Amino acid sequence: MILTGILLAVVGLGLIGWFVGRGRARLLYDGRGSMHSMPNYHGWHLALWIVVPALVVWAVWSGIQPGLVEGALLADPAASALPDNAMHRSAIISQAYLLANDPGAAVFASEAQALAAPLRAIITRFSLIGALLVAIVAFTGGAYGFTRIRARFEARTQVERVVMGVLLLASLMAILTTFGIVASLVFEAGLFFKDVSPIVFLTGTHWSPGNAMGADIDENFGAVPLFWGTIYIGAIIAMAVAIPLGLMSAVYLTQYASRRVRKWLKPILEILAGIPTVVYGYFAALTVAPMIRDFAASMGADNPSTESALAAGLVMGVMIIPFVSSMADDALAAVPRAMSDGSLALGATRSETIKKVLLPAALPGIVAGVMLAISRAIGETMIVVMAAGAAANLSANPLDSMTTVTFQIVQLLTGDQEFNSPKTLSAFALGLILFIVTLVLNIIALRVVKRFREAYE
Amino acid sequence: MSNPTWQSPEAQKRLAKRHAAERRFKALGLGAVVLSVAFLALLLVIMLKNGLGGLDWSFLSGADSTNPDIAGVWGAAKGSLLTMLVTLLLAFPMGVLAAIYLEEFAPRNKWIDIVEVSINNLAAVPSIIFGLLGLAVFINTLHLPRSSPMVGGLTLALMTMPVIVISGRNAIKAVPPSIREAAYGIGASKVQTTFHHVLPLALPGILTGTIIGMARALGETAPLLMIGMRAFVATPPGGVTDPSSVLPMQIFLWSDEIDKGFVQNTSAAIIVLLVFLLAMNGLAIYLRNKFEVRW
Repeated sequence: MILTGILLAVVGLGLIGWFVGRGRARLLYDGRGSMHSMPNYHGWHLALWIVVPALVVWAVWSGIQPGLVEGALLADPAASALPDNAMHRSAIISQAYLLANDPGAAVFASEAQALAAPLRAIITRFSLIGALLVAIVAFTGGAYGFTRIRARFEARTQVERVVMGVLLLASLMAILTTFGIVASLVFEAGLFFKDVSPIVFLTGTHWSPGNAMGADIDENFGAVPLFWGTIYIGAIIAMAVAIPLGLMSAVYLTQYASRRVRKWLKPILEILAGIPTVVYGYFAALTVAPMIRDFAASMGADNPSTESALAAGLVMGVMIIPFVSSMADDALAAVPRAMSDGSLALGATRSETIKKVLLPAALPGIVAGVMLAISRAIGETMIVVMAAGAAANLSANPLDSMTTVTFQIVQLLTGDQEFNSPKTLSAFALGLILFIVTLVLNIIALRVVKRFREAYE
Repeated sequence: MSNPTWQSPEAQKRLAKRHAAERRFKALGLGAVVLSVAFLALLLVIMLKNGLGGLDWSFLSGADSTNPDIAGVWGAAKGSLLTMLVTLLLAFPMGVLAAIYLEEFAPRNKWIDIVEVSINNLAAVPSIIFGLLGLAVFINTLHLPRSSPMVGGLTLALMTMPVIVISGRNAIKAVPPSIREAAYGIGASKVQTTFHHVLPLALPGILTGTIIGMARALGETAPLLMIGMRAFVATPPGGVTDPSSVLPMQIFLWSDEIDKGFVQNTSAAIIVLLVFLLAMNGLAIYLRNKFEVRW
């Protein structure tokens, strides 16, 4: 609490510093060209000198204060009554923390009551020390910044240097995120592959992580049925829906529709891409899956499952339509006008021109778009979680229940909370594979698109 | 008369066949569009039919419950609002600053290429991977409170930032060089030019991209499943560190319930979510039409 107060106080001091710096600099103004920087920049310069060092101290202090408090608490006479059992002791201490923050909190350990008062005193003491440190640094920084306000002082250059630093840091966030993803996936997957050999994982055909125990642990982590289910749902069924519909929609909207129709239909089609996947999943489970089950039953299938690969794949395909359509749209638009004009001038009809000239010329772009669509489909989670099922079947029958990589990741990580079992770690191994596959698909697709654009420029 | 062979019956027949193929192809295209739109209409109609009856004040103001009659959506909606607030506060400044740097200041070198490649790839990484990142880093390493809007917001911010950077760069790129040159011409520094002239002109475009990115984050469920936001939470969260649910997660949880009463609740919650998304996208389109300048 006190730490948050310090933060606000520092910001307040910075604000005061801004006005002081600007006011001081204004007094120095002595006719055109007498100053290097405008008064505002002197204000910013002073404010930065107050805020930045103080914040650094504040951050360091809030990092080390809990440790110091803990140490002081254990050294306190009140702590000598604590039991030696480490688990029991830490439970009491955490209860004492609750009490110290909120005297009305309900606690069950009576020892915590005795600790709360000294603990509160210790926290207050260290917080005050922290506040004092921050105040000293803020005023020292402010004083130094104030002495530098001169007519010829290049405040703007200094401030802009800081701005550049901030900009650079922000853009490095992207690298940091990528690095974080790769590091966490590789690290956790590495722990998993210590227990299960990667070769078995990538080539085994039996998946039941629930029974994974002891020596034959390898047996239960064969991920091939998962890969098959993912490919079957995301890259085969979904694409069988999305490619024809998306491509034909793009052809119709770019080649046939009048401008007014296009203006209305395109945004409507794009709504499909904006609907949350959980809504699609619910729709698949509530409407599409029972429809398919009834259809299968009427076709003579015995005991068809409500969770079918077909339902998940169909709905996923619909979700991808606008994506394929807009990629195909771009690809068609990139084909030079002269090519289709030439074909039309030779007497070909519009559909002949589209089929024989436009589509072949746009093919690389369309293929790249389909690759991006596949990478999106195989990473899709909610639809398969809600409609595809958990059984790891290696089957080519679209009416069977099938499972996917994303489904299993969810399944493995939302059950028990025990973190370091091979079961939960295998989710990270699956995540790593998913990440690599989507990355490769994306990189290839972007390359193709780029080269394709260059070819027609 | 033109070429007599054009009048021959065979040529006429061939022509008729080609024209029929032309009409068929056009009908096929129209059919594809109509089918896609029909699917959308079917989805909306079913949700409205199932859910409209459940939309009343007690539904909009209540929190989750095991009894479908008193379960409401406000707890999850508040969780969504808090999560989005955290996401916006982190992703927007970061995204805009990164876009400014990459578009206006970055030197052309290997490092910047790596930054650009990683941003473009992050935008295409499946959302569940961000959930794994959030789980490994924010929960297991930094020990932030599980299933809280803070962790959810952080995770979604990492996911949304690349979207904001990409749209921000496009908006900044669209500002014509003459604006910059005019600013330099009257003595502005590079930083002044960017922040006083380029950024205000690019802002509508950046905001549009931000709203679209936020709408995507609002509908996102998978990464939040990973960081444990699937807990049953019967009271609306009081702050960003309290356990909470979010709207899409509430839909997911209710869709799993056996009780028939939850079918109506799920559909009603979907309507609420879709109304939010529609409002956000409408705002984005409005901003674009109102403020976008064609140079």
